[in-house]
Amino acid sequence: MQKQITEANFRLLLDSLLFKGQRVVGPRRSGGTVLYEPLASASDLVTDELPRRSVKEAFFPVCEDLLEYRKEGQQVALSDVTAERFPETVLIGVRPCDAAAVPVLDAVFSWDYKDQFFLERRARTTIIGLACTSSDDACFCSAVGLSPADPKGADLMLTPLVGGGFLVESQSEKGEAFLETWRDRFAEPDGTQTQALATPATQPFDLKRIKAWLDDHFEDAAWDSIATRCVGCGACAFVCPACHCFDIVDEGSEKGGKRRKFWDACGFWKFTHHASGHNPRDLQPKRYRNRIMHKFKYYDDKFGQTLCTGCGRCIRVCPVGIDIAGVLEEIQEKG
Amino acid sequence: MCDHNKNIYLPYLATVEEVIDETPDVRTLRLVFQDEQVREGFNFRAGQFAEYSAFGAGESTFCIASSPTRKGYIECCFRAVGRVTESLRRLEVGDTMGVRGPYGNSFPIEQFFGKNLLFVTGGIALPPLRTLIWNCLDWRDKFGDITIVYGARTEADLVYKRELKEWEARSDVKLVKTVDPGGNGPEWDGKVGFVPTVLDELAPTAENTIALVCGPPIMIKFTLPVLEKLGFGDEEIYTTLENRMKCGLGKCGRCNVGNIYVCKDGPVFTAKQVKAMPLEY
Amino acid sequence: MQSDTVDTSCHAAIAEAVRTEARRILSDGTVTAVIGYAASRRKGSTQPIVITSVDDADKLIFSAACVNNLAVYLTKAKKDVPRSGRIGVVVKSCDLKALVGLMGEAQLKREDLYLIGIPCTGVLGSVLQPAALLTTASIASKCCECTDRLPPGCDFVPSVQLPQQPRLEQRYTDEIARLEAMSPAERWEYWKEQFSKCIKCYACRQVCPFCFCEQCLCDRNRPQMVEQTPRPAGNTAWHLVRAMHLAGRCAGCAECERVCPMDIPLNLLNRKMARELKELFNSEAGFEVRDKGPLNSYQDDDDQSFIR
Repeated sequence: MQKQITEANFRLLLDSLLFKGQRVVGPRRSGGTVLYEPLASASDLVTDELPRRSVKEAFFPVCEDLLEYRKEGQQVALSDVTAERFPETVLIGVRPCDAAAVPVLDAVFSWDYKDQFFLERRARTTIIGLACTSSDDACFCSAVGLSPADPKGADLMLTPLVGGGFLVESQSEKGEAFLETWRDRFAEPDGTQTQALATPATQPFDLKRIKAWLDDHFEDAAWDSIATRCVGCGACAFVCPACHCFDIVDEGSEKGGKRRKFWDACGFWKFTHHASGHNPRDLQPKRYRNRIMHKFKYYDDKFGQTLCTGCGRCIRVCPVGIDIAGVLEEIQEKG
Repeated sequence: MCDHNKNIYLPYLATVEEVIDETPDVRTLRLVFQDEQVREGFNFRAGQFAEYSAFGAGESTFCIASSPTRKGYIECCFRAVGRVTESLRRLEVGDTMGVRGPYGNSFPIEQFFGKNLLFVTGGIALPPLRTLIWNCLDWRDKFGDITIVYGARTEADLVYKRELKEWEARSDVKLVKTVDPGGNGPEWDGKVGFVPTVLDELAPTAENTIALVCGPPIMIKFTLPVLEKLGFGDEEIYTTLENRMKCGLGKCGRCNVGNIYVCKDGPVFTAKQVKAMPLEY
Repeated sequence: MQSDTVDTSCHAAIAEAVRTEARRILSDGTVTAVIGYAASRRKGSTQPIVITSVDDADKLIFSAACVNNLAVYLTKAKKDVPRSGRIGVVVKSCDLKALVGLMGEAQLKREDLYLIGIPCTGVLGSVLQPAALLTTASIASKCCECTDRLPPGCDFVPSVQLPQQPRLEQRYTDEIARLEAMSPAERWEYWKEQFSKCIKCYACRQVCPFCFCEQCLCDRNRPQMVEQTPRPAGNTAWHLVRAMHLAGRCAGCAECERVCPMDIPLNLLNRKMARELKELFNSEAGFEVRDKGPLNSYQDDDDQSFIR
């Protein structure tokens, strides 16, 4: 279904949602940094900047409790989480590179064992995407098979119109339901042109060729030359919309406390370190290799697609300027 | 309220029923699930692993060391080397811990019916095979000869000393135990030498035989050529891998060896599968 | 405030001189490798590079986007960087102070290094957009208060005329003054909010030349001194531990602050600690190798009034 909404009605719609008590999360400036956060009013929404961290945290928070334990003598009592943890949410202003990562994560958290922490939030969230009309030279969505208007992962897709307002297209039943619920705010499309979309400069990668090289080059001198400079922080993984590795720890005292799941990264030395002292990925190039392998080979082997949506965040934040698009270009040339 | 069907990270509670010191730093805990339904319903296969919680310290991964044929309890066996294992070690009889599992694949025991079994193992790596050894001994008539070659650095480092005696006494099992040179005391009645060397001397037949190997990487490295020499094919040799794990569920992303996730695709692999893997374990 | 352009016209000459010198010291065997900066894919972007052959010297560049403190590649935290023989390293003054500090802590020997000093007009505060023009607004805060534009004691420094620097705000001084004027409760609120943003990516630790501990206190769990999860308790503990551990050592390269993906003003803590050290012990990071830092040496007349 296709509709249209004026800028004013869009803001009214947001405020009506908030007035109704609906939780609305979208890009918001917090301090100096734009992040996906709950909005307090329509004016909080930032539509001209890609949030520093990706939308994955709406489903897979930086840190969350898995259970609570309390010891009484020799007994232990466990408390589980409750459904209030997973409120109905409208996620708005989600960039195509972020929205497209959500189904990619669905695959991980729902294959075999079902991770309710991810999936319950997922089930109760409506994703409203926003097409990009600008990009920078770190953006490379179009190089990994997406585009600045790709509706993948979104329930509704907004595309800015010339002169303001948005063209609105539903992509799912959730999207249809949303349009139906708020039908008074929307109008039929009147043929107004959509704004020119962003044009990321990167040429499409031949992902098959890249994967073919990765299939055969677990051991290769290139890993050293690419990744010796890597300092082993988790910045790239943490800002990535598709990276999903996590750690689990108990925090609290012997008497009581919580078990928590929190973001982890394969770049960290500790990630694969055995208690015995053995570490299968003992040097940084091996850890960086795992990052590239996981994104462009392992995930593909298992789920038939790439674990990267070209948002470019890792390129922007890397402390030592490692540019994943440049690395892919290099691998493609070898392949 | 706890719902294990929904929260996949929620462990079952279990009571420590017995504490057995195998060596100065290796301990076995016998665990009984507190919930009767879980006690009845907890089924696993030899080779599978679990996540064991010491609440306040966290979770640690080991195989289930008892046999699936022994009902009503499970056992784990660990060396106290890290935060969680040290905390597990402080547990006393009657204390409560957590267990999630069983996870991972298992030994295809049905495929071993009618065959001879050769167990080759060293040090703290006996527990992952012990589950299978007891499973096979409890179904003794389904297998041919059963031979166990087990070594440790010193006599003190041999685990399951009571069971070693029991196996030694049985006429339907051949146990060859060995300690590294210098690891033997005056009373030692086993062999002296490294496991691969002892295996080489023993020269068991490869015919109609499955080899089950578990040990430290260095032992595996030198044992595989010996087995090859004896005529074992890569698909007749089984081993278990261990990598650092957190979830055990194929989500947290750290236990992979190349594109193989040890927690889901393993921990049991044939030598053929292991040889095809990149060196990342 | 209107921003003025900073004159960076000397960068081309600097880059050319660095390339020539790198070629020379690699070809005559003075060094086995040179750690410098190379261009990266994006317009204006740079990345650290280790070159070992004369032919690769052409890759070396210098621009306002050459922000990294390359000293980090000489610490034992980066043992993946192959090291044998003398190493050439490109340094700005602030980077050099870090190297000097590492020498004082017996992590490096001066004779193992060949220092290629950069006459510096300042670098960008952030390379999120690496092609940004260097202006009085985009320049790094550390550069605003820098008094050492020419690194002393190097083996080679390109001879270029440094242009007159435009007037720059004293950002750290001003911000510290603002924080000091707050009540302790307000200040606590300010830092609580800043630390709450931390996601424990440890980029600050990993780029820091002084974070060379083989195993960071925060990676240890026996005992667990600092909670690992990115929550208020663990975040605050982590940043306070780090600030204390760097007190009297931090050379002010501000890499921690630059790389923080959550924009936490980490160098503000380090600058404040540096001021305390200056006031209490008349000690500050400089270009002279010192055997012992102020917090790991003892003098009979040290103030002991804090012991009660």
